[in-house]
Amino acid sequence: MITAPQRALFAVVKVVLGLAYAVPLAWILVTSFKSTTQVLTDPNGVVFAPTLDTYREVVGEGAAAIVTSAQISVVVTVVVVALGVPAAFAAAARLSGRAARVIAIALAGLLVLQMIPQPMTVIPLFSVLAQWGLLNTLPGLILADVAVMLPFATMLLRPYAQDVPRALYEAAVMDGAGPWRSFRSITVPMMRNGVFTVASVVFINTWGEFVYAINLLPPGVVPPVSGLLAAQNTTYAANWNGLMALAVLTSLPLVVVFAISQKRLISGLSLGAVK
Amino acid sequence: MSGLATKVPGVAAPPQDQQARHRSAITPLGFGVPAAVVLVAMAIYPLVVLFQMSVSDVGPSNIVGGWSFVGLDNFAGALGDPETWYALWRTLGVCAVLLTSNLVLGFICASVLAEPGRGSGAVLGLMVFIWALPPLVSGSVWKFLLDDSGALNSVLGVVGVGPVPWLSSPAAALWTVAGVVAWSALPFSTLILRGAMLAVPKEVLEAAAIDGAGFWTTRVRIVLPLLRPTMWILAILTVIYAFKSFDFVYVLTEGGPGSSTNTLPVLSYYTAFTQFDMSTGATVAVLSMVVVAVCAVPYVRRINAEAPQ
Repeated sequence: MITAPQRALFAVVKVVLGLAYAVPLAWILVTSFKSTTQVLTDPNGVVFAPTLDTYREVVGEGAAAIVTSAQISVVVTVVVVALGVPAAFAAAARLSGRAARVIAIALAGLLVLQMIPQPMTVIPLFSVLAQWGLLNTLPGLILADVAVMLPFATMLLRPYAQDVPRALYEAAVMDGAGPWRSFRSITVPMMRNGVFTVASVVFINTWGEFVYAINLLPPGVVPPVSGLLAAQNTTYAANWNGLMALAVLTSLPLVVVFAISQKRLISGLSLGAVK
Repeated sequence: MSGLATKVPGVAAPPQDQQARHRSAITPLGFGVPAAVVLVAMAIYPLVVLFQMSVSDVGPSNIVGGWSFVGLDNFAGALGDPETWYALWRTLGVCAVLLTSNLVLGFICASVLAEPGRGSGAVLGLMVFIWALPPLVSGSVWKFLLDDSGALNSVLGVVGVGPVPWLSSPAAALWTVAGVVAWSALPFSTLILRGAMLAVPKEVLEAAAIDGAGFWTTRVRIVLPLLRPTMWILAILTVIYAFKSFDFVYVLTEGGPGSSTNTLPVLSYYTAFTQFDMSTGATVAVLSMVVVAVCAVPYVRRINAEAPQ
């Protein structure tokens, strides 16, 4: 039973957690409204005259990066869903004999692929993309991102495909539907929630991805959001207000995605991620 | 879900359906072909190339091809270099911090946030939002907060402590970075453990309450054992995550000061991309993957055991 001191302890844990996550977020916002002089003279001050100057300075750069990132993230999300939903349908099929073994091996392969660190796969990718003439191009980066997100997306989608009741497929077969028709008219609509959750996660991850973004794109091209932030990190280490204003601007699309998908993200991830 | 998974009893198939059945058993696999093609080309083939690089001599001049085979020289070189071993110990250090945080703190946070109560939803939403932010963003703000003249030191200064050289001293940097990584990973583990806790049958908890068990006694004696499979998977995922963790090191310290935060992924990346010693970078990557593969075996087994059909 939950007693009064228990309740107090809960409150303390929640306040500590809330602060641990709210303070850094607030600090990003606060710093972004400071002027450069303010940051240089009193970086930790909380009393100051808020200004939009920093935003005015970075908005051009930020908007261009958002356009590049939006192109990459949207294409990657669409391609991952287009490949991942049928793959999850295949992986969820209840088969026997050799076909079942193929699925088991493929699933193990997908799990292993998820474990490989990106800073390490970027080493051979650099050479592979160069061989194929895709190094320093947007399609090359998109393909590389798709390959990172696809194993994870398929694993996360599989339980949703498994949840489609067998009886529906059997009824469809009775009505003379082939596999493609069953997939299109039963599986895809029934998996809508899963697709939504996975698409949000893929979009969020692609937006933040930077190891590939900083290595596989040509210098001089408008960098995606992560490339721009990474460049700030190395060049103007002390330009905190500029960095934080860019961080806020380039996170705005994520705020939108998060606002739309929050509920489904929380339930979808808690159920699907460990399966 | 398991309720739906059982086969719907139906009429026995007439013999002429036999062939149709056979065909329908093959076709679902066809739906996986496009994904398989992409993964073979963009994920498996690069791994083969990585392996090839680790047994060849690849430098900045011959990244594309024309590699000479050098056998196990790179491995001998990497294993003989104390820096590789230091990197392994640092990675294991990060791993230990993450395991403690994800499993112990994660369990406590999930226990509190699984209770319906004021603020639970808001705190959880906030944590998941931070998890969704690009690591470059959350990492940058920590770099500012943890600066020698940053906000944390100025708060500590008020109470007469510090300044603590969080990121600028070789002794502290690794643990500071590990702490930030743990902070960023905690929302995920809390979410997973909370999900598992919500799936614990109410009757079990009520029975414990009737027997007079207190909240934490119930958590430790009843909920924890029920969560063991989830905890195991989370632990393995955490180890894998520690061996992958790169973003925060890149933002906070770039492996420094000195080489004090050079973990295996960081060492491999910087060897390949700042010293352009591609083959040594690849070799460190292959070595680190061996460690990950050892963790992968129980993980794959458990996942396959969890989802029988």
